[in-house]
Amino acid sequence: MLDFIVKRFFQGILVVFLVLTAVFFLMRLSGDPTTLFLPQDASREQIEAFQHQMGLDRPLYVQYGEFMGNAVQGDFGESLRTQQDALQSVLDRLPATFQLAAAALILALVIAIPLGVLSAYYRNSIFDRVAVGLTVIGQAIPTFWMGLLLIFLFAAQLKILPSGGAGTPIHMILPMLTLAFYSTARFTRFTRSAMLDVLQQDFIRTAKASGTPTFPLIMKYALKNSLIPIITLVALDLGELLGGAVITEIVFSWPGVGRLIEQALMTRDFPVVLAGVFIIALIYTVINFLADVIYAYVNPQIRVK
Amino acid sequence: MKKMFFLALLSMMFFVLAACTEETAGGEDSGGEGSGDGGDSKDSIVIGFESDAATLMANTDVNYVTDAQIRNIYEPLIERDIETKDYVPNLAESWENIDELTWRFQLKEGVTFHNGAEFNADAVKFSIDYILDESNQSFYRSRWVDIEEVTVISPYEIEITTSRPFPDLMERITEDLLIMEPGYVEDVGNDTAANEPVGTGPYQFVEWSRDNHLKLEAYDDYWKGEPEIKNVEFRYIPEFSSRLSAFLSGEVDLFKNIPVDSVAEIENDDNSKIGEASSSRINYVALNTFHDGPLQDQKVRQAINYAVDVDSLLENVLNGYGTKITGPLSPVNSGYVETEDYGYDPDKAVELIEEAGYTPEEISLTLETPSGRYPMDNQVAQAIAAQLGEIGIQVDVSVNEWGNHLERIQNREMGDMFILGWGPAFEQQGTIGNLFTEDAPYSSFHDEEIDQEIYDANGTFDPDDRFDAYAELQRKLVEQAVWVPLWQQADLYAVRSDLDFEPRVDERIVIYDMSWE
Repeated sequence: MLDFIVKRFFQGILVVFLVLTAVFFLMRLSGDPTTLFLPQDASREQIEAFQHQMGLDRPLYVQYGEFMGNAVQGDFGESLRTQQDALQSVLDRLPATFQLAAAALILALVIAIPLGVLSAYYRNSIFDRVAVGLTVIGQAIPTFWMGLLLIFLFAAQLKILPSGGAGTPIHMILPMLTLAFYSTARFTRFTRSAMLDVLQQDFIRTAKASGTPTFPLIMKYALKNSLIPIITLVALDLGELLGGAVITEIVFSWPGVGRLIEQALMTRDFPVVLAGVFIIALIYTVINFLADVIYAYVNPQIRVK
Repeated sequence: MKKMFFLALLSMMFFVLAACTEETAGGEDSGGEGSGDGGDSKDSIVIGFESDAATLMANTDVNYVTDAQIRNIYEPLIERDIETKDYVPNLAESWENIDELTWRFQLKEGVTFHNGAEFNADAVKFSIDYILDESNQSFYRSRWVDIEEVTVISPYEIEITTSRPFPDLMERITEDLLIMEPGYVEDVGNDTAANEPVGTGPYQFVEWSRDNHLKLEAYDDYWKGEPEIKNVEFRYIPEFSSRLSAFLSGEVDLFKNIPVDSVAEIENDDNSKIGEASSSRINYVALNTFHDGPLQDQKVRQAINYAVDVDSLLENVLNGYGTKITGPLSPVNSGYVETEDYGYDPDKAVELIEEAGYTPEEISLTLETPSGRYPMDNQVAQAIAAQLGEIGIQVDVSVNEWGNHLERIQNREMGDMFILGWGPAFEQQGTIGNLFTEDAPYSSFHDEEIDQEIYDANGTFDPDDRFDAYAELQRKLVEQAVWVPLWQQADLYAVRSDLDFEPRVDERIVIYDMSWE
């Protein structure tokens, strides 16, 4: 077991390292930030002076070496735009992103699991068909459009909810709904099919035959057994919610990590992009690492492989 | 049994929902109910912006969004009268030119900073030295490198010496320089001062939540008198549709940069109106003469000027929002003289191309444009391509990401033509001197004779001679058809109908001048 954990741990570090390397070079390919920061009337010499000051005129491998050397010590440099510590800027935004992701995830689970269970139990009933239909719609509607639709309805027309921003729990309702929409659809479908698998198995039939009431049958025997794959999906989705809430954060002016990275990308604020990608890669890796360890603990076969 | 099951499910849902609200309530600390009350309480205003200020430190970030906000906190020495375009005293009471290298400024007495400190010559010296100090990484520094020294003569008198004649100094002081409180910045350090600014302006800092909002309140001891609007919130809403919704729902009272195709929606709303100003920012099509090709021929450039129907573009693509220009400067510019309009004459265009030894069909050009940076830029490019296509010139339009567009210009990698805007452009040198020399790629035009004339005009210190030199240059540049001048942008604002707000030609958001009816 320890071997397995150590191996997975180093694999995780390798992943983060490779992600940072790829993003570092991709960012440099996208161009030089100088023209975006200096006034348009800056002269050639002034531009070169700025590039020199920022170290952008040095060979790429030197810049890369320096970046990695500092990054290992947790120093991603200062934002070119705000001159604040890049990593700190990202960490400052992390609670807002976490909050939204957690709320959306909980909401999605609260709706999706009962819905999936009922759909599977009443398979092919009208309830089931409506639920399946809704999940298809839920997965098909783009987040961007969904967000604008909700803003239009609840903020512009009904005027009962703020159109965006952060500050009170009320501000969270619309972005949470938007973000939860897709996950709910995904979880519902997954729960339904996992339940269907389990419900057809022999031990359920035996339990039913021995007179186990419906509720314990579903909760104790069926749902419990279909939870493991659902947990994996939830873990993956949490990573996605944390890193991929960019569009929701922009539409709802939510001051989170996704929006920060998007803005940094548009202004080529290299240090902030790299710090942001680092944090998201790290979260993703840690969640996956934990999922792997739990799996290995639950199922010894995985350890051997 | 089924009932039991449903009850259990329901109670589970409630339990988790309760946990959810607890979580959401627990994590938030800022603000309280700052939003949604734009309607009734008429001593506050909420202004929407597409992005946050990069920093609240003065004299650091050259960026409209940053500048528009912090100018309500900090003040300049000199302002510009937006009607006459003259320099008018603000924190400086008067100024004089001792000689070509020396300037002296008399400062206003009795002005205090928000922390109570007195405004004086030390503050001016500190603010200019701040720009010049490389370690502060001010993006303004490149414009101020000709300053040699700033000397405090007396508490309310300051002298600036330049390393070479620098007639542009007045413009730099008006456009760039904002006065900071030296004692405060030295006490708390740059990092804190950049987050909690102290100035002499009509509004003082309350709270800044990055990417969320900036809140200010009226500074009661403001030397021009207490502001009418007491509480100000700048709210950051990156997505236009969200910004528009926030405005229409009454959460936001004012925001700038309405696309021309959204004007009707705002005009049709009972509580809203459109504010319009003819900006000093001009849009143009650059004709690249850095590479070999037909555009190096003056006649071909003139032909393109004849073949592009600017009036039609204005009317059909921009719905009339914009003011046509015919030369390198707009009438807002203090050095403007009227120049001849090429007008629309496709026959003349074909004639000129043939005189130059080409047929229109032989000429194939590229036209690059950003998308969304200037009003309808992409659509304008398509329409220009179609107009040139009518006389037989083939034009390929390509759209660049903004950063890439700028970089291609800067690295002189641009193809034949490109669309760009320039501004704020209030004086001649900032436009002509920066655009039509070999050093400056933003029009990608250069001609040795014109280079020399620009250089001479820049060095001319006497205001009348300078005006004449630039007037002559404007005529020459038009004759040379150095670019296709398009228009002054129309700045369009969404404004709450009972807000007294006059859009300014310099794009500034001066809340001190605003009031509720």
